[in-house]
Amino acid sequence: MSSPTLHRREQPSGRIILGRSVLYAALIAIAVVYIFPFLIDLATSFKTEADAAADPLSLVPATITTAAYEKLFLNSDFPIWFKNSAIVTIVVTLGRVFFDSLAGYALARLHFRGRNAMFAGLIAVMSVPSVVLLIPKFLVINQLGIYDSYAGMIIPLLTDAAGIFIMKNFFESIPQSVEEQARIDGAGTFRVFWSVVLPMARPALITIIILSFQGSWNELSHFIISTQSPDLTTLTKGVASLASGQLSQGTQYPLKLAAAAIMTIPVAIVFFVFQKRITNSSDGSVKE
Amino acid sequence: MTTIPRQPRLSERRRASGIRRGEAASGWLFTAPMLVLLGLFLVIPVLMALWVSFSDWSGRGSPFAGSVGFVGFDNYSALLGGGGLAEQDFGTALKNNAWYVLLVVPLQTAVALFLAVMVNRQILKGRGFFRTAFYFPSVTSSVAITVLWLFLFNSTGAVNKLLSFIGVTGPNWFNDPSGIFHFGVATGPAFLENSTALGIPLWDWLGGPSVAMSAFVLLAIFTTSGTFMLLFIAALQNLNGEVFEAAEMDGASGWQRFWRVTLPQLRPTLFTVLTLGLIGCWQVFDQIYTGTKGAPGKTTLTPAYLSYQAAFQDQQWGQGAAIAFLLFVIIVLFTLLQRWVLSEKKVSKRRLRAYRLPETEGAVVAPTGSLHKEDRS
Amino acid sequence: MQRRTSRWLAAGALAASGALALTACGSGFSSGGSADDGALTSSNKALSVLIGSSGDAETAAVKSAVADWSSSSGTKASVSAASDLAQQLAQGFSSGKPADVFYLSTDALAGFASNGSLLAYGDKLSNKDDFYPSLVKSFTYDNKFYCAPKDFSTLALEINTDMWKAAGLTDADVPTTWDQLETVAKKLTTADHVGLGIGGEYARVGAFMTQAGGNLMNADSTKATADSEANITALDYVKKLENDGTLKFAKDLGAGWGGEAFGKGLAAMTIEGNWITGGLQADYPDLKYTIVPLPKGPAGAGTLQFTNCWGIAADSPNQKAALKLVEKLTSADDQLAFSKAFGPMPSIQSAASEWKKANPTLVPFLDAADYAKGVPTAKGAADVVTDFNSKIESLATSDPKTILEATQKNLEALVK
Repeated sequence: MSSPTLHRREQPSGRIILGRSVLYAALIAIAVVYIFPFLIDLATSFKTEADAAADPLSLVPATITTAAYEKLFLNSDFPIWFKNSAIVTIVVTLGRVFFDSLAGYALARLHFRGRNAMFAGLIAVMSVPSVVLLIPKFLVINQLGIYDSYAGMIIPLLTDAAGIFIMKNFFESIPQSVEEQARIDGAGTFRVFWSVVLPMARPALITIIILSFQGSWNELSHFIISTQSPDLTTLTKGVASLASGQLSQGTQYPLKLAAAAIMTIPVAIVFFVFQKRITNSSDGSVKE
Repeated sequence: MTTIPRQPRLSERRRASGIRRGEAASGWLFTAPMLVLLGLFLVIPVLMALWVSFSDWSGRGSPFAGSVGFVGFDNYSALLGGGGLAEQDFGTALKNNAWYVLLVVPLQTAVALFLAVMVNRQILKGRGFFRTAFYFPSVTSSVAITVLWLFLFNSTGAVNKLLSFIGVTGPNWFNDPSGIFHFGVATGPAFLENSTALGIPLWDWLGGPSVAMSAFVLLAIFTTSGTFMLLFIAALQNLNGEVFEAAEMDGASGWQRFWRVTLPQLRPTLFTVLTLGLIGCWQVFDQIYTGTKGAPGKTTLTPAYLSYQAAFQDQQWGQGAAIAFLLFVIIVLFTLLQRWVLSEKKVSKRRLRAYRLPETEGAVVAPTGSLHKEDRS
Repeated sequence: MQRRTSRWLAAGALAASGALALTACGSGFSSGGSADDGALTSSNKALSVLIGSSGDAETAAVKSAVADWSSSSGTKASVSAASDLAQQLAQGFSSGKPADVFYLSTDALAGFASNGSLLAYGDKLSNKDDFYPSLVKSFTYDNKFYCAPKDFSTLALEINTDMWKAAGLTDADVPTTWDQLETVAKKLTTADHVGLGIGGEYARVGAFMTQAGGNLMNADSTKATADSEANITALDYVKKLENDGTLKFAKDLGAGWGGEAFGKGLAAMTIEGNWITGGLQADYPDLKYTIVPLPKGPAGAGTLQFTNCWGIAADSPNQKAALKLVEKLTSADDQLAFSKAFGPMPSIQSAASEWKKANPTLVPFLDAADYAKGVPTAKGAADVVTDFNSKIESLATSDPKTILEATQKNLEALVK
């Protein structure tokens, strides 16, 4: 059945223009609601405390001051927090890319006894809510002797079930012919994985990179339970302690907002660089 | 002519097994890191916590030491019926979180769906910009957003300033413990005040989230609607356009098209979004830890934060573990409930009749949404 | 299906055996290994000191005192300020790697003492007779004097002198009874500021309770006395002032604590302890104020006292050195230096007269030590107090009797 084709070369009717403008207006209004808080964040971080209290809505400081940033970088442990977050995030991201693709490939392509049970176990594990793990992970980290160390912060995060799931799904969608060819040419399993299949997996790898970066940069509860010394505090834990404040200091909003702003910049950069990847991916990308 | 399935020639089979010989070993090797890490840091902790929740371990030494006693369900019964502070705190935490879930999940799903439909229109220019704008809050850390929220929802902050432009005096958001469904009434009718569940009067249960909790509800919608919007957009783009044309031809209006044709086809994505939303909302912790730590008046206390507080601050490890497992059970129950509610029930005969075309035997167009592949459940 | 179940069983068995294997290792946890009674551990390890600092002034003062000791004794020591002292202490104890010396509050004593995390060294102190008896009582658990009180503070009334004069009040009008306080607060309440702005919590409202002759628990924290008539009278009084609009809680004024409300000029008077001097000096240096004793209630003078002690960990490998450090930190010289830096009063009686000479405007705080009452120290009392505080926030619209009865029930459950 052929549908009648309308030649829409003529000007759209007034009604359609009105409909479209309403659509745009609504979208722009909502976009403003979504963006405005971040603009306020940036603007307030350059205000004085009194200015921030007196005029919370304005985007232009009465006097632009970098006092908050100075205090943050020169008078607090903020640089240490940033360093720790960076170290953990980079190592965890690299680790996850490697281990998740390894396991995902094995589950997708390699045949071995227990594969199905393993996959079922993976799904079961994915469904355990992370709050149940707060206390016991602390106990295990303690028991293993890696409490209050970089190892304790990094090792438990090195692989995640969701990432393995994504990689497995992706590998299953690749045609087998290339691998078969490589195998027939005599390549070993790891060689096939590393040199043939992995380069083809770039879209999925980028997804894993984005998710891992985001997940470990923004992680909080794991760092609460795995560290106690001030040298190992990460950005999330540090800014959280700033937010709860100390007795004799005032509310210090410009300082806190400056910290929040700087904390957001790296993820924002990763986001904007890989934007198309995220918004076009139809894999279940989930914010943890 | 019947075809006999072709047996692989012996030489071929042998060669296949020759190539695949190392596979089993590689398979185990490749998955070894995953097994070790997930086993150590996911499976074993859960078992350990289970033991701690049945024990009286006080926090020093190993939980498996000989001095640690097995107390059966004592920790659980203290939380569910002990009559003391433990039960009241647990009841309060459950109440707060239940209202949070009740408000956040439908609202964030609706907002996400609404945004997805709006942004998905073909005629829209600047789609990328809008998608980015709506998704950006999801990328940020909950700590950063909570700090921002503490500033915006201050009693003299941006939100109250905005409200004053329309003549409304905003409440002292994060410091106001009154329930929003109480509408300012301080004490309720006697029968509601006196009957309690889990140590909390029914009047409080019906009061809804506190004003402080409502600020967190808005925070949740702000930060997660973007992620789910993307899921909906992906699903919308996979929809088959023919069904829409057919519906349009049948005279369905825009709203009817959406409700009767689009939505049923989005069922699996809807299921995913609702499940993820439920699981996420029942575990809210980061925002409470950063922002209010349970204040004001314990109205932002949640089971996850209570579990942390009981264990790490009050040294009640058994109780903290018990709270965590009770929460686990609740999450599983809610997920199953939601799955049952959303499952594809058989279309009732009455409905079916509406779609029956006249003068054709049995030709029925029923919206069963079978154009998708069954989602992981 | 059979194969799958057997696989699950195998997986479960694997996990269980893994867990058992871990217990065999058990390297992370310290199982027992506490010193014999009387024998302190000793080693060359550096000491770690964990404090819950009120700000830069306190951290700097403690660091310098510890550094002095370090150079004179030859044992290295480092000081770190906790962002969440209770949590870090708890995690430290459970992980077997606690700080050697740390701030310990009256709230936390019972919990950590009962699970063996603390060393009861009070009787070994060379200056143990010098501490105020009420402070020693606060830190005695199970008849053992656990730790040396490091300082203490009491609550007094702070008055903004400019606002006082602007309301036409003179020195003769300083309130000494509840009725006078009510009158004065009314006179000081204007459109810009409220007469009395205090924290909405037991740690402030409790002062009124002591003035009426009551408190949440008795002096030993062995009996719950929350629902006494005295307490009801006190809360009724506070509620009356709140409903008159002459008393407001800090949160309702948009401040984090009474001192902030006072400093920002949102309240003409506040009830705070010694720490307010440091806080105001740092954030609101131009504020002019005086400190007077709290008014007397129906049962006479009363106020609350707050104190912390220097805890020593039972797991510390170098308890001998820790004890010496604590003795130095509680000596008169160090305590007077701390007092100068960030406010609290020395916990030893021998330093009292010198402190009064050095701080003539703060004498009301020290005089109050004669009639100050401590906060409940029973195990789990902190939780009940938190619950009480959450109810007090809505005191203006609640019934004090109901609040106190609920608190009584919770406290009774602790001492059963």
